[in-house]
Amino acid sequence: MDEKRGRFEAQVLPHLDAAYRFACCLSSPQSDADDILQEAILRAFRGFDTLRGTQVKAWLLAIVRNCYLTALKQQQKRAFVPLPEEDDGQDGHAIISTTPDPEGDSIRRDEGRTLDRLMAALPEEHREILVLREIEDMGYREIAQVTNVPIGTVMSRLARARASLKTQWEKEVAGEARAVR
Amino acid sequence: MQCVETLRVQAYFDSEVDAVSAADIERHIEHCAECGAHLRNLEGTRVMIRNDLTYSRAPPQLRARVLRALRKEETALAARSAKADKPGRLVDRSGWFQSSFWLGALGGAGATAIAATALFFVLSVSSNTRLLNDVLGAHVRSLMPSHLIDVVSTDHHTVKPWFAGHTDVSPVVANFEQQSYKLIGGRADYLDHQRSAVVVYQHGQHVINVFSWAAGAGSLPRDTTRSGYHMAFWKQGDLAYCAVSDTGWDELLGLVHLMRSAGTHDARE
Repeated sequence: MDEKRGRFEAQVLPHLDAAYRFACCLSSPQSDADDILQEAILRAFRGFDTLRGTQVKAWLLAIVRNCYLTALKQQQKRAFVPLPEEDDGQDGHAIISTTPDPEGDSIRRDEGRTLDRLMAALPEEHREILVLREIEDMGYREIAQVTNVPIGTVMSRLARARASLKTQWEKEVAGEARAVR
Repeated sequence: MQCVETLRVQAYFDSEVDAVSAADIERHIEHCAECGAHLRNLEGTRVMIRNDLTYSRAPPQLRARVLRALRKEETALAARSAKADKPGRLVDRSGWFQSSFWLGALGGAGATAIAATALFFVLSVSSNTRLLNDVLGAHVRSLMPSHLIDVVSTDHHTVKPWFAGHTDVSPVVANFEQQSYKLIGGRADYLDHQRSAVVVYQHGQHVINVFSWAAGAGSLPRDTTRSGYHMAFWKQGDLAYCAVSDTGWDELLGLVHLMRSAGTHDARE
């Protein structure tokens, strides 16, 4: 194995799961997250020689985020092209799978699922900052590096994100209580 | 609501303030009911997210796909830079680009074939592979928030007896802090159908998990690197050990050496 790839695997790949979670947090559907992760790892490898300092995880997640933004731009360009009519029939299974079903309902009461859903419904900048802080356990400086905003913005955005998630959670709990009655 | 200190309370909660400010904020919280409630809310939200949010890891197929792409990229980059070293490339730029593309593509295909062959051999040694995967999985799981340590102690007289009650084995436990491997605690993990004991060390910024379980008759996997984590295996007494970390090989083997010599010392006593 090349020496560069050896170093890359030792320093960067331990953060592959974090990069994957972050890609999932930013994008849906799943296949997009997979592509973004792969593209980000390749970009990271190409730019590995320019990496200075020890905050490898923040560096990698910033690349993931850039890849996501690039993919998003491309998608928006494509979005102007209307899909052919007949494709709708083939996509029928996708429509069916999103309709509510009794089993799904009961699973959705599960707290984890509820929280996943609430997180997914948050604005992207709130969702990403909560994941970076609470799941990836990053400091303000690292979060600022990943999200490309000043630390002051990190602080205020984090406060809003936390408050917003808490409000949504309380609404959800109140709604469930009414449903039981 | 909105006490002016809200953001500072949050920074305190996130451990982003120095000791002097922290003391200052703590005094404030004692008097400000609003900020006290705010702090509890922050804690509640954190616990909720850390406990209930689905914590996913890159699926093995995706990991394999990314590693394949990486090997391809490596070959392509190498081909490109080898070509770039030759003089006259500026004159014939398009030709240079195209041939380097094909070199890269062919090299990539070769790398894929080699990787596939290697994968086949790895798969055919399936029991050791499962062990490798289990240890790696346990190591990665341990790095998730609040999964690392069951018993927090830098004292081997605390950690070793704890294992007696919680695991099936009694491994070598010693604090090598002077050699910069600090014992930080122990954990029980299910591995190879046993309750294995895990001794957790800190070396610089890196965590090193040392797994131990009752050794079977078969041979252990060879030392290897998986997904960026180095894994060193050895047998000592009746136990099999595996040290796992993202630290460098030399650092990891340094700890292995210390543990082996501590083990022989133990046996003589």
